[in-house]
Parts: sequence; C-alpha cells; structure tokens
Amino acid sequence: MEQIRNDIIYFLKSQSFMDSDTQFAENESLTKAGIIDSIGLLELLDHISERYSIEIPEDMLTPDNLDSLQGITNLIVKLKTERS
Amino acid sequence: MQILDELNKDIDKLSLDLGGFIKQNVVDFRKKGVLLGVSGGIDSAVALTLSVQELGAENVYGLLLPEKESAPSSTPLGAEICESLGVQYEEVPISPILESLDIYNKKDQVIKRACPEYDPEVHKTSLVLPDFLDGGLINVPYIKLAKDGEVIAQHRLKASDYLELIGLQGVKQRSRMIVQYMYAEKMNYAVCGTTNKTEMVLGQFVKYGDGGVDIEPLADCYKTQVYALAKHLDVNEAIRERPPSPDTWSHYTSDQDFYWRMPMHTIDQLLYAQEHKLPLDVVRENTGLPEEKIVRAQKHFDVVKKNTEYIRAVAPVFTLNGNH
Repeated sequence: MEQIRNDIIYFLKSQSFMDSDTQFAENESLTKAGIIDSIGLLELLDHISERYSIEIPEDMLTPDNLDSLQGITNLIVKLKTERS
Repeated sequence: MQILDELNKDIDKLSLDLGGFIKQNVVDFRKKGVLLGVSGGIDSAVALTLSVQELGAENVYGLLLPEKESAPSSTPLGAEICESLGVQYEEVPISPILESLDIYNKKDQVIKRACPEYDPEVHKTSLVLPDFLDGGLINVPYIKLAKDGEVIAQHRLKASDYLELIGLQGVKQRSRMIVQYMYAEKMNYAVCGTTNKTEMVLGQFVKYGDGGVDIEPLADCYKTQVYALAKHLDVNEAIRERPPSPDTWSHYTSDQDFYWRMPMHTIDQLLYAQEHKLPLDVVRENTGLPEEKIVRAQKHFDVVKKNTEYIRAVAPVFTLNGNH
C-alpha cells in the first residue's frame, strides 16, 4: 500500500499538480485543496489504469474513492485484488 | 436578505447604464458603431437590444455565424431579433473554416476513441459533467451519444482526448472572432462581446474566441441579471425560454449540463454570496442548500477561478524597468 501511495504522490508532483514540498493528509480532499482539477482527475484515472492494468468502473468514480490519497490507494488495492 | 431580489432590482437603471457604457466606449475607441455575433441566445439578444437603444439600429451590425452542429433554431432566432430591431445583418456560416481545418473529422475520431459505437451519421453528441450538487460522482467529463433525441450511451474520455476536444471546439468561437473582426474593421465598428459575469468569473468562455472583443457590457452582470434585462427589454420569449448553451455540440448541451452543473439561479446566488461574503445562514436560507454543499461549492469556485486565471488574463508583459 505504501508503494501505491508513494506512486500517486510522485505522479501528482511530476504532473505539476502540487509543489514538491506540499504536504497533505491521507484523507484531505485533492479537489478542495486545489491540488487537482477535472483535467488532472482524468490524467490520474489514465495513470492508474495504465500503471496498474486495471479499469475503474464508472460507478466507482466517486469522491470517496478518488478525492483523497487514502481513497485512491484503497481503490487500487481493491481493484488489483479483484483482478487477481 | 433575498439574493435574487438584489440581482433583479434596478434593472431599468442597469439597462440605461449599460447603454451608456456601450456608447462611451464606441466614442472613446473612435468607432462608428458596434458589431455583434448574434447567436439566437439570450446574452447576444440583450447586448444587441442595448446597443440599438443607445446607438440606433443604423449603427449596429449583426452577424449570424452558424456551423454544422449549431441548433437548427439558432439562426432563425438570431435573424428574427435583428429584423425586429431593424438591425442589418448577414449570415456567414463558419463550417467551411472548420472543414478546412478538418475539425469535424478530428472531432469524430476523438469521439470514436471514447465511444466505439459512435456513428456520425446516426448519433448526435454532447460533452457533460456530473451534477455538482448531487455529488455522487467526481468531476470528470463524459461524451453522451444521442439517437433520435434520446441519450443512448455515455463514455468517459481519456485526458488527452478531452484536451484535444477542447482545442477543437475552441476553433468554433475563434473562427467567429476572426469573421467578426473582418467585418468590424471594414466598417470601423467595435466588436461587442456577450460574456456575462457567471461565465467571466468561472472562465467559461474561449480566450481569443468569444472573449476576443473590444467591449464587454454584460461581464459584470450575472446570468440572472441578463434574464431580468431581457425581460425588461422585451426580448423575444422564444429566446428567453431557451436553455442557455454554448451551442457547439450536435446534441443540445445546456450551460447547466457542462459548465454550471447546477441550476442557474443556484450558481448565481452562490457566486453572489461568495462575492459579497454573505454569512452561511443567509446563503442556506436563499438557496435551500445544506451548509456542506454550500461550502463545497464555494471551495470548488475558488479552485475554478484559480485554474481559469490565465483565460481572463491579458498576456503578461515583461517590462524593462523590472515591474511585471
């Protein structure tokens, strides 16, 4: 899980969504904090699909699953587990 | 305090002031009149009527600038208001410009990537975002396919496809800007914009497209105020009753479907409340929304305003004295 979490943070930083020294809490909202917008969300979804070879079902595109580091990490773990 | 009452008050004075603004700028810019793109929508209808009232129909020129994906009602509504006001106008379809840049084919290819079943001969398309107040889904855009007026499928876009689509769609407004200036410069007229405040503060216009104009009389009036002005100016009811839309998708897509993601009066009340720093209980009483949704919406507006700063910005200039 830690690896996934770090990968997401690295992705957000590398895509200029956040400064390299930005710190945020596990459950902090990425959209409300202004870290990510709708284009950023699409890029994040594309990254998750490609990096982890998983498709995110439409009904899982919820704020609980995708608006925080914790939610994203849990979602990836869940979908990876289901796939294997 | 009733926010909608505030927005709807003193409309006769506002109308006079806006007319004065248009005239003063025409004088200041040493122009002979104003030219407007008349879309058949409410903003251009109001700006056209104000211009005619202040400058006289003989000093106002209308351009109808339809393209293949414009709603069939747009051109007749635009022509009707020009004729009712006695304004000279011309129809200049921009589809040939778009075809010369292969915009329609490129757009079809992008949509096809997202929606494998898409057939341009059969389906109409629109780009939508989930309802904001519902809050059930995150803020990612979808392409909707419609057949015989019914939505039959919707698909999420990849980021690269979304960005390509935005660029392709923007060519429509930017082509209109080119044609408007071609005519305005020939006539020595100023180009009058039609962007309202709801669009302006949220960056819901195309830079150097519909934002490429000489004057913006409506840009400090929320959309609700534009409707009040339209009623005051006795704008054609068919235009007033039409759901507002950028009219750039073949399946009619309203501003509520893509830009606002909530009803017009709600977004205007929330934006007004944010602008005037109204207390939460006043906003709750006016909108009927729970505090959580008000706070979420206003944080969303903050992010959107920040992310669209570049759209409103004049290109920053590096100055040699170090001030920039």
